[in-house]
Amino acid sequence: MSKHSALNTFGRSGNPAFTRNFENAETFSQTERMTLDGAVNKTAILLALCFGGAFAGWNVPALMVPGAIIGFVLALVTIFRSPAKAGSTAPFYAAFQGMALGGITVFAEMQYPGIGIQAIGLTFGILASLLFCYKSGIIKPTENFRLMIFSATMGIALLYFVSFIMSFFGSGIGFIHSNGLFGIGFSVFVVGIAALNLVLDFDFIEDGADKGLPKYMEWYGAFSLMVTLVWLYLEILRLLMKLRSR
Amino acid sequence: MNAVFFGILTILSLFIFMNLGKIKASKKQMDRDDRINWGSKRRSNVQQNRDGSKIIEGSAEEVDDSAQK
Repeated sequence: MSKHSALNTFGRSGNPAFTRNFENAETFSQTERMTLDGAVNKTAILLALCFGGAFAGWNVPALMVPGAIIGFVLALVTIFRSPAKAGSTAPFYAAFQGMALGGITVFAEMQYPGIGIQAIGLTFGILASLLFCYKSGIIKPTENFRLMIFSATMGIALLYFVSFIMSFFGSGIGFIHSNGLFGIGFSVFVVGIAALNLVLDFDFIEDGADKGLPKYMEWYGAFSLMVTLVWLYLEILRLLMKLRSR
Repeated sequence: MNAVFFGILTILSLFIFMNLGKIKASKKQMDRDDRINWGSKRRSNVQQNRDGSKIIEGSAEEVDDSAQK
């Protein structure tokens, strides 16, 4: 007995971290595993909540700022604190982001009537066409593809962050907000990167369902798809506003 | 006309998403060597456990401290 005490205590691997992982991987049954159906249904639930929030934000534009702030905090909590609890945070994220989007769309509509439905149509049009391209194998996400998209996304985030900080000092990076050729080109680039992030989300969900990840990852996959869709919608709205203002 | 066209586009796209999303991706997409390895650390641990290839089989021996002195 004493010769195998380590094996008895920790299992076949002596590393306790490995042992915990094995136990976690083996304890959930087949019904508790992630599926494509579940991820798509949960995305539909989040979209419905987002539309509900947008309806509220459209009618009460004052909800825009609190919706954006609470939604942003909930996104950070879901990503960095508890992906396993995405089932309880993601619906609130969708509803609050919906309020923010509804308010933003109202202000865009006041300036350029009809721009909201154009942005919604183009966002979902891109979603459907990229899903088809992914499922049929026309677009093949690889590690290099992921690295390229991730780098570009981080670069855009950094640029927006610097522009945001500079705006407090009465300055800014003018060309990214201008309606000139460079500003429109930049927006087209950002829309392209946001759209290609959808392909990574599709691959993450497909891979998770294929490998049988835990059920809560359906919510996490749906949440990541929602984050990308919200970003894509805002970028398309911004691009359309630049085009209409010329 | 603008609202009708983009409204139909939205509904059609959501319909495609809801149906196509539940279908497994093509073999051309799934059976590739250069697929992204999402969460490679966790899955490699699971894989090691399943095939047992990384486990060194044998009997554990007690370390006798007095023998080293």
